[in-house]
Order: sequence, then structure tokens, then C-alpha cells
Amino acid sequence: MNFFKELTKGIIKENPIFVIVLGMCPTLAVTTSVKNAIGMGLAATFVLLCSNIIISLIKDITPSSIRIPIYIVVIAAFVSVVNMLMEAYVPALHKSLGLFIPLIVVNCIILGRAEAFASKNNVIMSAADGIGMGLGFTLSLMVVSTIRELLGAGTWLGIKILPATYDPMLVAILAPGAFLTLGFLMAILSMVKEKKQ
Amino acid sequence: MMYYLKLGFILLIFCVVATGILAYLNTLTAPIIQDRKTKDEIDTREKLIPDAVFAADSTASGMQYFRARAKEDSTLVLGYTFICSQKGYSSEVKTMVGIDKDFKVLAIKVIDQAETPGLGANCEQESFSNQFKNLAEADLKVDKDGGQVVSLSGATITSRAIASSIQAGIAAIKASMGAEL
Repeated sequence: MNFFKELTKGIIKENPIFVIVLGMCPTLAVTTSVKNAIGMGLAATFVLLCSNIIISLIKDITPSSIRIPIYIVVIAAFVSVVNMLMEAYVPALHKSLGLFIPLIVVNCIILGRAEAFASKNNVIMSAADGIGMGLGFTLSLMVVSTIRELLGAGTWLGIKILPATYDPMLVAILAPGAFLTLGFLMAILSMVKEKKQ
Repeated sequence: MMYYLKLGFILLIFCVVATGILAYLNTLTAPIIQDRKTKDEIDTREKLIPDAVFAADSTASGMQYFRARAKEDSTLVLGYTFICSQKGYSSEVKTMVGIDKDFKVLAIKVIDQAETPGLGANCEQESFSNQFKNLAEADLKVDKDGGQVVSLSGATITSRAIASSIQAGIAAIKASMGAEL
């Protein structure tokens, strides 16, 4: 029951992007296409799950005054491990995700969840939190990138959706488009929330 | 005082363990990665100039290139391949180029880049790389600079880096050929 709650809270109620507003950097940078968004989302979910588990395991031997550097060491080491293993054993996957893996180190969702959740909860709950937050992150990236790719290139996952007569709005896949899309989505979400109350 | 030493010591232990794991994994994976990179390079070279035998060589300035012949002992040179790179917008863009014996581009392949996804990263697409076919040294400029390469939209800097690195590579090979003749 509780497990299920931790698993699903990341998707809407505590969505890492639209509600907690963490990890803006990768959100703005990689949402130029849906393919990139899925790649980044899945890679981050995997690291988030692993780092949450390890940080939850070592929480009793971590002195609280130096917990942040220790978390960063754990996360950075994990990202490098994933990067090396993927490049050696699944080169095809590494080719499409390789660009995003180093970016995960600086994704503050991972450090944020380590600090806010994994350091205070047991392994199973931390794993559920990791998966849930990761899925919420992936879904949010997909929503933002769907809008940007559709407007900016007329495609979805590289497939032509809008008719050829549509003149792509290039600004949507440039940096300003990321801010605009994100802003509008957040506004809509908080409007829905206010109406509910 | 002891308290701070203890903290430093604990952090040290974490770092040592993490470094140890990474170093061990690196010794495991580095040779595999290197092997694959070498193999990829050979595959790419064979795609650029098919049905050829390659021999390594280098220019006077130290640039590595490969001479392509139809057969091992043939004196007829089909063309050359080389790898060139130049800083693009956010990364070093590496391109492997195949040129024929008259120094015209046969084909190119961007092999390494970390440009902006959706913009500069599109330089890996064939619609971009195909337009380099048959260009001579003088045409290897983007349209804004009076050349024949149509820049990627929103990524003139990436396009320019690729065009000018190829141009410099061809110039270097030409110069070294000239010295040999």
C-alpha cells in the first residue's frame, strides 16, 4: 500500500519537474526531440534507482555533516560505472544515450532524492521512490519534447506528423522555446490544481 | 580537532572505495572499448571507399591518412581517407573523409560530436553529409561564406567547422603530395 504510494507520487503529485522544479538543466537542454527525452529519462531513472538503493544502504554509516560530498561521490561513481559498462557491452544503446549519461551527474533530481528521501527511508521504499521519480521525470520530458518537436520540426519521434505545408517554428527547438513551453505547462498545471481546491 | 580528522578520514575511505571500483572496471572495459573503436574506424573507412586496400601514411605535418588502392601491389591510387576535427559550437566535431585521387570528396561521416541535440547534432544525418559528395577543396565552405554546403538550420557554426576541417585536411594531403612529386 505504502510502497505503491511512493511509486506513483512522482508521476503527478510530486512530479520532479512541474511540482518540485528540480533538474531544469537537462529538461531545458534535451527536450528538443522526443527520442532524446526518452533516452535521458530512462538513463536518469536507472541511475536514480541505483543511487537511491546505495544511499539508503549506507545511510547509517554516513556522518550527516559530510553527507552531501559522500552522495556526490556515490552518484558520480555510479554514472561512470554505467557509462563504462554500457560503452563496452551495449555499444548500440551507448551510442544513442551516451551523450546524456555524463549529464546525469549534475541532474539535481538525483541528489535531491538522495537527500530528501533515500537518506531517511529503507531500501525498498527508496527503490520505489527512485522508480517513481524517474518515471515522472521521463513522462514530463516527453510532454515538453512532444510540444517542442511538433512545433519546431513538425515531427514526433522523427515521424512526420504535420503536413508539409506547415512551416516549422524553429524557435520551439531553440533555447527560448524550452522556457516558453515549460512556463506554459507549469501555468496550466497550477491552474488545474487551483480549480480542484 | 579529532572530529574533523575523522570526517576527512571517512570521506577519504568513500573516495578510495569508489576510485578502486572505477579503476578496476576501467581495466576491464577499456580494452573492449578500444577494440570496438578500432573496428568501427576500419568499418567506416571501408564504407567511404569500398573495395579498396588501405595503407597508413602521414603527411609532413604529421597528419595520419590512409592511401586506398584497388589491390595490395597496385600502383594506382583510388583515393585517400583521413580523420579531421575542429571545434564546433559545443564540442570537437570529428569527421572521417574519403577523397578520390583528384582530391574530390567521395563521402564523409561525422564520427564524434556532442553538438546541440536537434540542431548541430543533425550533422550526423545523411541529408547533410551527402551534400559533400564531389566537392573540391575550394567548394568546401558553407553557403554563407560563398561555398556549396547548405548549413544546418540553426547550426552554421557546426556546419562551418565540418566544412573547414575537411578543407584543411585536403589541403594538407595535397601539400604533402606536391612535395612528393
